[in-house]
Amino acid sequence: MDVVLENMPMILEGLKYTIYYSIASIVLAIIIGLIAAIMKLSQSSFLKGIASIYVEIFRSTPLLVQLFFIVFGLAGVLPLNEWFGQRSYPIIAATLTLALHQGAYISEIIRAGILSVNKGQREASESIGMTEFQTMRFIILPQAFKRMIPPLVNQSAQAIKDTSLLAPIGIIDLVYRGQIIISTTFEPFAIWITIGIIYFILIFSISQFAGYLERKMRLDTR
Amino acid sequence: MIHVEDLYKSYGDIEVLKGINAHIKPQEVVVVIGPSGSGKSTFLRCLNGLEKATKGKIDIVGMELTNPKTNIPQLRQHVGMCFQQFNLFEHLTVLGNITIGPIQVLKKSKEESESLARELLKKVGLPDKEHAYPHQLSGGQQQRVAIARSLAMKPKVMLFDEPTSALDPEMVGEVLNVMGALAHEGMTMVIVTHEMGFAREVGDRILFMDGGYLVEEGTPAEIFNNPQEKRTQDFLAKVL
Repeated sequence: MDVVLENMPMILEGLKYTIYYSIASIVLAIIIGLIAAIMKLSQSSFLKGIASIYVEIFRSTPLLVQLFFIVFGLAGVLPLNEWFGQRSYPIIAATLTLALHQGAYISEIIRAGILSVNKGQREASESIGMTEFQTMRFIILPQAFKRMIPPLVNQSAQAIKDTSLLAPIGIIDLVYRGQIIISTTFEPFAIWITIGIIYFILIFSISQFAGYLERKMRLDTR
Repeated sequence: MIHVEDLYKSYGDIEVLKGINAHIKPQEVVVVIGPSGSGKSTFLRCLNGLEKATKGKIDIVGMELTNPKTNIPQLRQHVGMCFQQFNLFEHLTVLGNITIGPIQVLKKSKEESESLARELLKKVGLPDKEHAYPHQLSGGQQQRVAIARSLAMKPKVMLFDEPTSALDPEMVGEVLNVMGALAHEGMTMVIVTHEMGFAREVGDRILFMDGGYLVEEGTPAEIFNNPQEKRTQDFLAKVL
């Protein structure tokens, strides 16, 4: 117990990074996912193709491989470390990779949400003279988002867990901090169980929240 | 107001409209009747571009709908449409449904749009429903809000696609009354309906469609009392 309390400041510092990467990747992933979903639903087979290739690549390869490839692989052939800075590039690249990975899943959630809105809503909107953009912005997305909230919250829980893969590529987060503490204290049991509990509290409260939203929305949609 | 020349519409190999010609004058109330699958709804939906014509020419409110360069959203501001399933925006209140067009499309102020909306709600007989959501309203009330929503754009033409077909019988009258009042005010209207009594009473002209053709047209008296075509006679024998 002492070893945990003594190292708490370091653990909390790791947690701070885990939360940063979680929030940054989820926010970016929603933006990327929205763009990919709209591309997939567009008339243009070019845009559809690009979005499908993106989604399939990121869903069909392991996140850890994606992280290694973008953080180290790409930096091996392009002078990315010089452009973005030796210290900043891995952080930027890791955040972006997490976002692209989650975005691939989120694009499918958003696409399904958009498709779940009755076709008549679009027709009514267009027949009062709204453009395609206005229809999406004021009519389709507000209705779709309501239905997307529960799966998006679930995906966010997944996104938090996935940030633990940053440690193997040498980026500071909760797991990385844990490894460092263990390497000096030799107390793997106490440290890993503490880290496990922290993740559990984070993710369990989020999935409880998702369950609450789901029940509430079932009541709202008579 | 509306000129349709040689309009064809196909879905894949299935030809739904096979050369329709129709001319509708300002302030005219035209009722389109015919058996289901005759193409009458498709014809109506072509008039504001919800269905794209395969061939032919449509001029409406002084704009050439079938010209690819025409700004379709701008054209639709002048062509109101009411649907069988009402299609009110489910996430907006009655007031929100009526004002979103004036605010977002016509860029009018919120205050101006809301006072117009209240005026229209009074007109369709629902002055106390402005804060209700669509699912809290009956079908007849929803359809009347949908009419108010279209009117808020101050359209030059109103299209009605079987506006009473999804309603319980006791609610048909309230919607037809609103439409009758609108016709009386001089609105140009094209109405697809199965309400033959309404067609006879309010229509200036009846178009009878069957199998993708405009089979016969004339005044209500001509069509209902003295139909010339065999197909019109057969149809009316069944529905009257």
